[in-house]
Amino acid sequence: MLAAAGRAAAAPIPERGYGLPLDASADGHRIDSLIQFTTIATTVIFVVAGAVLVYALVRHRRGHPAAYQPGNKASIGLLVGFVAVVAVAVDGYLFAHTLADMERVFWNFSAVEKQPDTVRIEVQAHQWAWAARYPGADGRFNTRDDVVTLNDIRVPVDAPVLVQLASVDVIHSFNLPNFRVKRDAVPGEITKLTFQARREGEFEISCAQHCGPNHYKMRGVLTVLAPAQFREWLANAGELARVAYDPEDAEAHWGWGWRPE
Amino acid sequence: MSEPMVERREPAGEDVSAPVYGLERYRHRPRGEERTAHVGMAIFLGSWAMLFIGLFFAYALVRTRAPLWPPLDAPPLPRLIPGLNTLAILASSAAMVRAVRSVELGRNRQGFQGLAAAAALGAVFLGLQALVWGSLWRAGLLPSSGTFGSVFYAFTVFHALHVAVGVGGLTWAAFRARRGAGRSAARLWSWYWHFVGVLWVALYATVFLA
Amino acid sequence: MINMQAEMEAAQPIHAPPTSFWRKYVFSIDHKVIAKQFLWAGLLFLFVGGVLAMLIRWQWAFPYREVPLLGGLLEGGRIGPATYQQIFTTHGLIMIFFAVTPVLIGTFGNLLIPLMIGARDMAFPKLNMYSFWTFVLSQLLVLASFLAPIGTAGAGWTSYAPLSTNVGTPGMGQTLVVAAIFVTGVASTMGAVNYITTVIRLRAPGMTWMRLPLTVWGLWLTAILNALFVPVLGSAALLLLLDRSFGTHFFMPAAVAARGGGDPILWQHLFWIFGHPEVYIMILPTFGILGDVLSFFARKPHHWYRGTVWALIVITVLSAMVYGHHMFVTGMSPLLGEGFMLFTLLISIPSMIVVLNWILTVWNGSIRFDTPMLFALGTVFLFGIGGLTGLYLGDISMDLYLHDTLFVVGHFHFTMAAGSLVGAFTGLYFWFPKMFGKRLDERLGKAHFWFTFLGLLLVFGGQLLAGYAGQQRRLFDPFQNPVYQGLAGLNRWTSFFAFALFAGQFFFIVNFFRTVFSKRIQPAGQNPWHVTTLEWTDSASPPPFHNFDRIPLVVRGPHEFSNPEVQRLTGRDFAGQAEVLPGQGEPAVSAGRA
Repeated sequence: MLAAAGRAAAAPIPERGYGLPLDASADGHRIDSLIQFTTIATTVIFVVAGAVLVYALVRHRRGHPAAYQPGNKASIGLLVGFVAVVAVAVDGYLFAHTLADMERVFWNFSAVEKQPDTVRIEVQAHQWAWAARYPGADGRFNTRDDVVTLNDIRVPVDAPVLVQLASVDVIHSFNLPNFRVKRDAVPGEITKLTFQARREGEFEISCAQHCGPNHYKMRGVLTVLAPAQFREWLANAGELARVAYDPEDAEAHWGWGWRPE
Repeated sequence: MSEPMVERREPAGEDVSAPVYGLERYRHRPRGEERTAHVGMAIFLGSWAMLFIGLFFAYALVRTRAPLWPPLDAPPLPRLIPGLNTLAILASSAAMVRAVRSVELGRNRQGFQGLAAAAALGAVFLGLQALVWGSLWRAGLLPSSGTFGSVFYAFTVFHALHVAVGVGGLTWAAFRARRGAGRSAARLWSWYWHFVGVLWVALYATVFLA
Repeated sequence: MINMQAEMEAAQPIHAPPTSFWRKYVFSIDHKVIAKQFLWAGLLFLFVGGVLAMLIRWQWAFPYREVPLLGGLLEGGRIGPATYQQIFTTHGLIMIFFAVTPVLIGTFGNLLIPLMIGARDMAFPKLNMYSFWTFVLSQLLVLASFLAPIGTAGAGWTSYAPLSTNVGTPGMGQTLVVAAIFVTGVASTMGAVNYITTVIRLRAPGMTWMRLPLTVWGLWLTAILNALFVPVLGSAALLLLLDRSFGTHFFMPAAVAARGGGDPILWQHLFWIFGHPEVYIMILPTFGILGDVLSFFARKPHHWYRGTVWALIVITVLSAMVYGHHMFVTGMSPLLGEGFMLFTLLISIPSMIVVLNWILTVWNGSIRFDTPMLFALGTVFLFGIGGLTGLYLGDISMDLYLHDTLFVVGHFHFTMAAGSLVGAFTGLYFWFPKMFGKRLDERLGKAHFWFTFLGLLLVFGGQLLAGYAGQQRRLFDPFQNPVYQGLAGLNRWTSFFAFALFAGQFFFIVNFFRTVFSKRIQPAGQNPWHVTTLEWTDSASPPPFHNFDRIPLVVRGPHEFSNPEVQRLTGRDFAGQAEVLPGQGEPAVSAGRA
């Protein structure tokens, strides 16, 4: 039942390290644009406030007579006005933008469930590796032709992917930095994650919740394939799984199935 | 430091030089150090309440996630003896109220008796609680019996520890009251005792009855 | 008012000071002695926490290499993955609970609350003593955990279940640490009750709420959060202890333990209901201290005092309602998540008011750059960065990417290490003369400042950069992912800066010990900083056992600086809170205490 495992240490696309990692997702740009906005906004706030402070430090030192001024209408008004502008322009924008992001894309699991070309994957985390399971040709989980992989998840490009996560021991967190998303895998619960790839290649899967001494090694590879290649891979792997099906194999039988929305 | 203010009802025209027992309307207005102690005690009890609120939060979360509560294999919780316990604690709180009043009016013997009665009823509570634990333990309910056992023992044991501390404190306050000292302590212990009683009622309602 | 003064005198009679060594220095009920005890205990553990940080930095700069000096304590002379998780766990726990808390809240709360409000001691002096010794017990439990057979706790300072249960981290070490957390919580709660009651009940006549120094406001609001939320941590620690030692299943689900049914997320709720107020507990005293110190050294009244007070109160209230932002990726309901995000964004508003008020306080002032002021200004700058980076993390979208990266670590170090810790240093340099009667050396102080300020900026700025690029936290070897090998240089450099930061603390250590124990340093005088609050104007440096010969009668607020009228009447640019100006006579019976 287990497909051939073992691409645990393949290298993702090498980059120089600084700055945001490569964005291979269809929706990661939403997060990136928010990050850019926040960076600009916080820099502006910091520079303005910092300039006032530095000016005071330079010009209002010993020798400059201090003003006996605990705050008048003008200065308090200016302060409140500044804070109000920031609150509306920055906080308000963040709130509205993020609300839309969550409701429409990142947490909109019911919409993804309904799409016809959604790829469903179950991921089971354990100390210290990622097991993934595909439903195989019959489209149903917990059957003979389920494809189970270790640290190796493959998806077709430009198709929505829906992942259900579980853990068998401690909390782990399924992290896809090149897709800007992560979600905890909590024992005793099924959590969900959705993403869509828009370019082919190999990308990083890592664990984003401290889970024991080998937390740092808990990595995998997410491979994005062209649709035809994906189908071919899944078919081959499914055939292998069907042939190698072993009803006694405890590791292959997960004890939980897909949780419909 | 301060004297309790005693208001007397004075019917018009009557000689009120001799107070009639029972007609005294008694209002306690603490001043100074005593009031400081009261403020401190109130905050302390607030903190303690937050600890129990954390426990109740845990109970609520664990219970709503459970598919079935109580679980099928759990022995049924008794209701009679815990019900008696509730009566015991309520009675002891009532005794406490009277005891505090007696102590503050300077009636040392009655104060001692009231505090001792409250302590004794607390001890009765502990004894009955031990019976409940014993019977449930023999019936197979252990702390390791899933969340049901966990919640039951955690709550009742932790509460019983507080009752035990209270029994000790009330006994100590009783002997001090008999000597005429520790009036403020009696009032503070009464607050603690009522707090423990209210906790029990909440516990009884949510763990045993619900 | 005069009657109230007499009443306060009667309520706080002057006692003779203790004479025996034990009563004077060990089991003292004097808040000033207890403050010093917390200071020594806290500074000791600050050092231990710092050494642990250096071990972490060594691992990032020189992974798999033998550790100098301390290598003998480690297996094979190197840090291994299991040891590494113990190091970062205890670093966090020690810094938060056993270093910053005793120094910031234990020392300054105990020292300053009675002195600044005009009282002779705390409301419950004996309880104060018990709270210190309970705290020492918790420190001993932490030390004991290092001696456990398979080592100390390793589940992170956040101790998430099930990793922190027997399933994830068996052994006495983790259990002892959980017990230590419970015991330190008991100590904190005892202290909080004392602080809250003292400010409510023992303010001197005329010391209305709106005349309190901001330091007292900060410490008082901190105590309220302590009293309310530390017990919730206590309940979590208690349940975890039960799970570890009595076989209960509060945090272990059926997937993990045969009869389970518990919920790991329960731990996170309970922990963060405490944990978020905890970070405000750690910053509110700094907010208060900064408000006063900036005003003092700019010789100018604090800008919009009322605005700051109300902002601090709003922050206190809101701090309980934002905790879910630590749990955005756990799978909570979207509505709940969005609610937490809303409150998290809202709490930035009063925080901004507080910071802007600081800037407007020094604006148009006459700034002196003594060491306490340098540290205060450094705190403003560094906390500003920390606060702004919080904006990224409070937003769910961005948190999806940034959660568990070094960006989070950079954010909380800017706010806590740079905010709370540097704020603590501000207070130490400022109130050192009050505690010990002498001033710390200015040159060593300034050297300490520049190493600390630049060190923090470079180390944690580097972490922000690394986290932005996606490097994760709590990784024994961050470079398993070849992409992040490009960040190896950044990690090494920030480690070098961290070593320099640690080395710079020796300026402080030398300065501190030399000044405390040297007999040759000049006494500082009663009010060397020429400021207005009661501990400086009405009490000697150091104060006598009974603090005040006469309970002061307060007639004005705490920031009366550069008033031309005062200048004319006294020739000084400040007027003490209880100072009767010539020509004004005794204040008439006023509206009394608010």
